[in-house]
Amino acid sequence: MVLAGVCPVEDAEPLLQLLQAAPAASVDWSGCSRLHTAVFQVILAVRPPLTGPCGDPFVARWGR
Amino acid sequence: MSAMSEVFVSESRELVQQATDDLIALEREGFTVDRVDRIFRAFHTLKGSAGLVSLPAMGVMMHAAEELIAALRAELLDATPAIIDQALACLDVMSRWIDAFEVDGALPPDADAEGRVTTERLRALLAGQAGQSETRENQAGFSGDQPVPAWVAQLIEAEQAQIADRLRLIPGALFAISYEPNADCYFNGDDPIDLMRRVPDLLACHIEARAPWPATADLDPYRCNLRLRGISAAPRDALRAIFQFVSDQTHIVEIPAVALRPGEGAKAQDAETAVMVRALVEEQRRILAVPHGGGEDLIGRINAAGRAGTNVLRHALRPELASRVEDGRSAATAEGNVAPLVRVLDEVLAALTPPAAGSSDGLAPSAGARASGTETGARLLRVEEAKVDALFNLASELIVVKNSIAHLVTRAAAEDDPSDLVRMFRRAQESVERVAGDIHGAILQLRMVPVAQVFRSFPRLVRDMAQTLHKKVRLVTGGDATECDKTIVDRLSEPLLHLVRNALDHGIEEPAQRRDAGKPEAGTITVQASRTGDRFILEVSDDGRGIDPVVVRQKAQERHLLAEEALSALSDDQVVDLIFSAGFSTKAEISEISGRGVGMDVVRTAIERVGGRVSVTSRVGEGTRVRLDLPMTIAMSHIMVVEVGGQVFGLPMDAVSETVRLAPDRISRIKNNDGFVLRDRVVPICSLAELMNMPPAPPPAGVRLFVVTEGSGGPAALEIDAIRDRIEVVLKPMQGLLTNASGYAGTTLLGDGSVLLVLDLKEIVP
Repeated sequence: MVLAGVCPVEDAEPLLQLLQAAPAASVDWSGCSRLHTAVFQVILAVRPPLTGPCGDPFVARWGR
Repeated sequence: MSAMSEVFVSESRELVQQATDDLIALEREGFTVDRVDRIFRAFHTLKGSAGLVSLPAMGVMMHAAEELIAALRAELLDATPAIIDQALACLDVMSRWIDAFEVDGALPPDADAEGRVTTERLRALLAGQAGQSETRENQAGFSGDQPVPAWVAQLIEAEQAQIADRLRLIPGALFAISYEPNADCYFNGDDPIDLMRRVPDLLACHIEARAPWPATADLDPYRCNLRLRGISAAPRDALRAIFQFVSDQTHIVEIPAVALRPGEGAKAQDAETAVMVRALVEEQRRILAVPHGGGEDLIGRINAAGRAGTNVLRHALRPELASRVEDGRSAATAEGNVAPLVRVLDEVLAALTPPAAGSSDGLAPSAGARASGTETGARLLRVEEAKVDALFNLASELIVVKNSIAHLVTRAAAEDDPSDLVRMFRRAQESVERVAGDIHGAILQLRMVPVAQVFRSFPRLVRDMAQTLHKKVRLVTGGDATECDKTIVDRLSEPLLHLVRNALDHGIEEPAQRRDAGKPEAGTITVQASRTGDRFILEVSDDGRGIDPVVVRQKAQERHLLAEEALSALSDDQVVDLIFSAGFSTKAEISEISGRGVGMDVVRTAIERVGGRVSVTSRVGEGTRVRLDLPMTIAMSHIMVVEVGGQVFGLPMDAVSETVRLAPDRISRIKNNDGFVLRDRVVPICSLAELMNMPPAPPPAGVRLFVVTEGSGGPAALEIDAIRDRIEVVLKPMQGLLTNASGYAGTTLLGDGSVLLVLDLKEIVP
């Protein structure tokens, strides 16, 4: 799964559905430039394996 | 110290201990009115006594604590771990202050500052809880006396380095932000992270869940469950502007300067850091004192020393000292002279408070240190009146016997009938023996103390350690009232502490592992005291992961503790005993929790030194039990007086399994030694004469006499010439130059006035 560019609030639901279907799938968020909180929240809650530091600098710095 | 002060010290210690026990019980077993009442009364009394002995700093701190407990009692607050922690921390401070007061008659010099910090924290808990339901952001700024909410303190601790650097560059006010967006904020078009993104000068930020996450299948992606917190150096107005549309979900708090220094939680680390900082600054000072070659070499040295000093002080969060060193450095390079920098370093060394005489392990100092009274005060013993009365009666009887002997002396001088006299002397002798024995017994009784005093510090210890290790553990103690000689109980506390720490650190698994293993999440450590016959038994058991014989074998092999065949000959149960061998645990493994450099071998030695034995049984996956088998008293020993090679020695009876008389034909040569077979076991013969470095004598032609002793490698027989006597004596440990001589258990005086050397067979027999 790849998150690219700006990920707005609408991306949260499809992301969650994909993760529910494939919980072990890894998420590559190195290419996104900006994450909406809702998208970040899904990742924080599900904790899938992540590839790369987050492309969104704020999340890369402060998101656990 | 005045009588009132003495009473204050002993009563306050009692109250602190009782309040500690009750607080831990409160946390573990829950709120009961009685319990909280007792805690409240303890704090209340402590507050009052502080006033009686004129210790205002103590009074103020206890007042804040009392109010916090009052809030608990009135059920305005719940007893959260944070509150229990802070109340216990307050009791720790109190405990230290009582100790200082006992020695110096005053509180330590930093008491005011420390008291203020503790008071602030206590009040923060009082206010902070109320603050969580506040919806207005805080209007008034905080001055130094006002409380810092717990979440702010945590955030500060997490990002200390950042904050310190920032303050050094541009000192100014810092603000803490707590933003809890409404669950439906996304539907309002809010993007909480985006707001935090806009905060200028963000020094710290944590994003976490407010409530535990539901299972992935039940997760609602559009329901916000986040809490965002941060620390920023931006001006309050700028922050307010950013969060103006969500002001009802945000809380902005100015951080008082005092809260920016490292907190109590880092205390142990502090002591070490302080030592290191001091050492490094002293080192720079020393470097500057070394004669130099002038010119570039000098400038280079000044710069190096100055920068090292500055960096170290910044690390220790003393920015004001760091900048002074920086100034000293520039002045010194400008002048081409070390003097300005040296001066500053001297001032800095004076300003660095000497490292606190903290505990030698990483745990809270007061937890273990109070087991046996103060170091400098007289050691006190609490004694039941009845025991003292019994002793008094015996003393009276002694007077009576003494008088009768005086009478006998008169009669003997008057040359009365000798057989009559002999009879009367015999009677007097029997009386004296009886009374002396009774007095001895009564004094031993005085020295019997309940083992509970060793257990007292354990609940606190277990709680703190479990928290540090993120494990859930419960401590069960049994047989607290069992009594044992005071000296033995004193010598027990260190080894016992070590065993409990070990069980916590290595025995009990993490909650997740326990769950997977089908065990209850909370591990149980049991410390049980009991008596069988004249032995005092102490068992420390846990329901943890147990000791794996396979791992022990491997380690024993790696460390070359035993020869291969010997190792494989041991059963699994026997192999586990190897954990007590010297060299079994390397320093690298002995974690900070279990205590530096103390392995199980030290435990065994300590217990054996008081005449005890240690053994361990374990089942992998089920748990471990360590059993200490100790004498009830260390006073009287049964000694067998024997003659060897013309000399007389004492052998402790409990080291002797039996004595055997053998005809020469029973003795054969087995491998390289003489030996004999006794009830299906091969017993090698050791020559005591040889072991004691006495001139060897040829074995007697006729019947030979042996003392059989059970060693760690099996039985061994010592040849002796004759058994002289069996006596019951008070064994005096070796003293002076001979203290460390191995092979001797001690000495005693025989009836004829000569000194008997008693051998320690364990040390002599190979």
